[in-house]
Amino acid sequence: MKILLIEDEQSLRESIELYLKIEGFLIETAIDFISASQKLADYQYDCVLVDITLPYGNGLDLIRQVKEQQLNVGIIIISAKNSIDDRIIGLDLGADDYLSKPFSLAELNSRIKSVIRRNNFDGKNTIQLNEICIVPEERSVKINDEKVVLTAKEYDLLLFFVMNKNRVVSKNTIAEHLWGDDSDQMDSHDFIYVHLRNLKKKLAEKGCKDYIQNIYGIGYNFNLEV
Amino acid sequence: MKLLHKTTLYYVIISIPLVGLAAFLSYFVIKSEIKNGAEEVLYTDFQNAKKIIRSFNLPQNIILSSDGLSKIILSNKPLDKTILKDTTIFDPIEKETIEYSILKSNYTYKNQLYQIDIVKNNIEDDELLEGLWSGFGILLLLLGAAFLLLNWITSKSIWKPFYKTIQQLENYDIKKHDNFQLESVSIYEFNQLNATLNTMTHKIQDDFNQHKEFTENASHEMQTPLAVIKANLSLLMQSSNLSEGEMNSIEAIENTVKKLSALNRTLLLLTKIDNQQFSENTNIDLTIICKNILDSNAEIISAKELILEIDFKEKLEVTMNETLAEILVSNLIQNAFRHNVQGGKLELITSRNSLSISNSGDPLSIPESDLFVRFRKSETTSESMGLGLSLVKSVVDVYRYTIRYEFSNNLHTFKLTF
Repeated sequence: MKILLIEDEQSLRESIELYLKIEGFLIETAIDFISASQKLADYQYDCVLVDITLPYGNGLDLIRQVKEQQLNVGIIIISAKNSIDDRIIGLDLGADDYLSKPFSLAELNSRIKSVIRRNNFDGKNTIQLNEICIVPEERSVKINDEKVVLTAKEYDLLLFFVMNKNRVVSKNTIAEHLWGDDSDQMDSHDFIYVHLRNLKKKLAEKGCKDYIQNIYGIGYNFNLEV
Repeated sequence: MKLLHKTTLYYVIISIPLVGLAAFLSYFVIKSEIKNGAEEVLYTDFQNAKKIIRSFNLPQNIILSSDGLSKIILSNKPLDKTILKDTTIFDPIEKETIEYSILKSNYTYKNQLYQIDIVKNNIEDDELLEGLWSGFGILLLLLGAAFLLLNWITSKSIWKPFYKTIQQLENYDIKKHDNFQLESVSIYEFNQLNATLNTMTHKIQDDFNQHKEFTENASHEMQTPLAVIKANLSLLMQSSNLSEGEMNSIEAIENTVKKLSALNRTLLLLTKIDNQQFSENTNIDLTIICKNILDSNAEIISAKELILEIDFKEKLEVTMNETLAEILVSNLIQNAFRHNVQGGKLELITSRNSLSISNSGDPLSIPESDLFVRFRKSETTSESMGLGLSLVKSVVDVYRYTIRYEFSNNLHTFKLTF
């Protein structure tokens, strides 16, 4: 999977690059509008991460360029401007997702994966991890071919873990993923605990291994190597 | 007191003594003129009397005036000199003393000496005064009328641009971005005033815009560094050999970054609301928004074991921006969650034009007047940033709604009236 990351802030670019490389993605980077435009013209990518405010140009124009040249490419806007207008324009131009800064890398990773998945398979596709089988289009989960009935939050939680398998994901990141901006309005960590407990229980009932490890209380790791 | 009334009053106050003085001076001037005139008349009559004498065939006495005072008489003793004097004579008919001017002189014709007496009564002082006073009185009245007329005309025409300027200034709202421009007018002073006001308002507007942009840009610029911190924390967390203490530090940093970015986001939102960047209005049923918010917060409601009392008698339709409507209702409901107690009450009541949201809770720990002030928060909820209710206030201000707070029976109530 080849990804083009267009971001002018060096430190952020490097962190994203590092995180996604471990995930097994092939990352190319562009630091401004001109180099990004050049790369988009020359190569084919599976997903493009584009910042709106760039030196020498606007990220929205890059989206237009991508849509003219390449098919089947996922576009995720990463912008400091959490403006509804930019979001609407970006999505109208054909961007698949919009992530406003600051975001967590786990969230970005999970968004990239779902964009690529949606673009590369038409119809049904499944995510198979050992005994766990997830069908994202149906939002259904099977353990050893047996259906597990999960609540919406439990399903989201499981999918997020699976997308960020073998990674430490903090509670704050999980809270933001599950509740968005509302997560700071409440005692979200307690709610995560409740949902997680129920999820673990339901998975264990169907004979699923306990992959979810608690990491010093700051977060969790969906560790397949247990 | 209006400027015009004041100036008119001053004109009148100054006019009265001036007109009085003018009358006083006129009295003496007229009097002396009359006296000169009277003397000339005396001399003319004297010359006429000489002509009469020259027409005599025989010397004789003759009476010249009907009152018998002016006369030509034969004389043997010449006067020392010509007498010209004023005298008073008592008039028994009118029963008053009357002023007279008298000219007595000699004239010799054909060796006969004549004495000519010319006596003319002067205009009486009181008559003169009376005439003067009534004349100047009329003048004063006319002046007053003229002032009033002038006043009316000036306020209608000359002061018109001034009043127009004031009206435009009264309607000026710096937040409305409308281009404030006072027209140039024909009167120099008002033109100068308008030009100065134009320059001043443009300067203020520029400063205001820059200030707004600064807040917005500063908030935007902070997002990327926050993203960098967050991304690096995610990376750091993946290290396999972190101690518990290091993990705790990472968590502390992450929590702080989360707070900072929430703060930043809210400040940006406040700026956007104040800048009226949410201008697209639609018809919205607030009861639906309320229900949606309650649904998405079902976890909090059950965790806090809140007793919901919802009384939506009818639809509560308002015309406003959808995002702002959500911000308004959501922040009020979140506020009611946050300050509620375990097992407390949450009441939502609507009427045709109002929405009341009540929650159980301890009495306010901050003054009621500080409720909507930014960053003012009670100590009990340190997680709160103290911006929720100022967001509410900003939205309320944009639409000129009213919001009232009241506390009774351990129930905090915010009542929105549309």
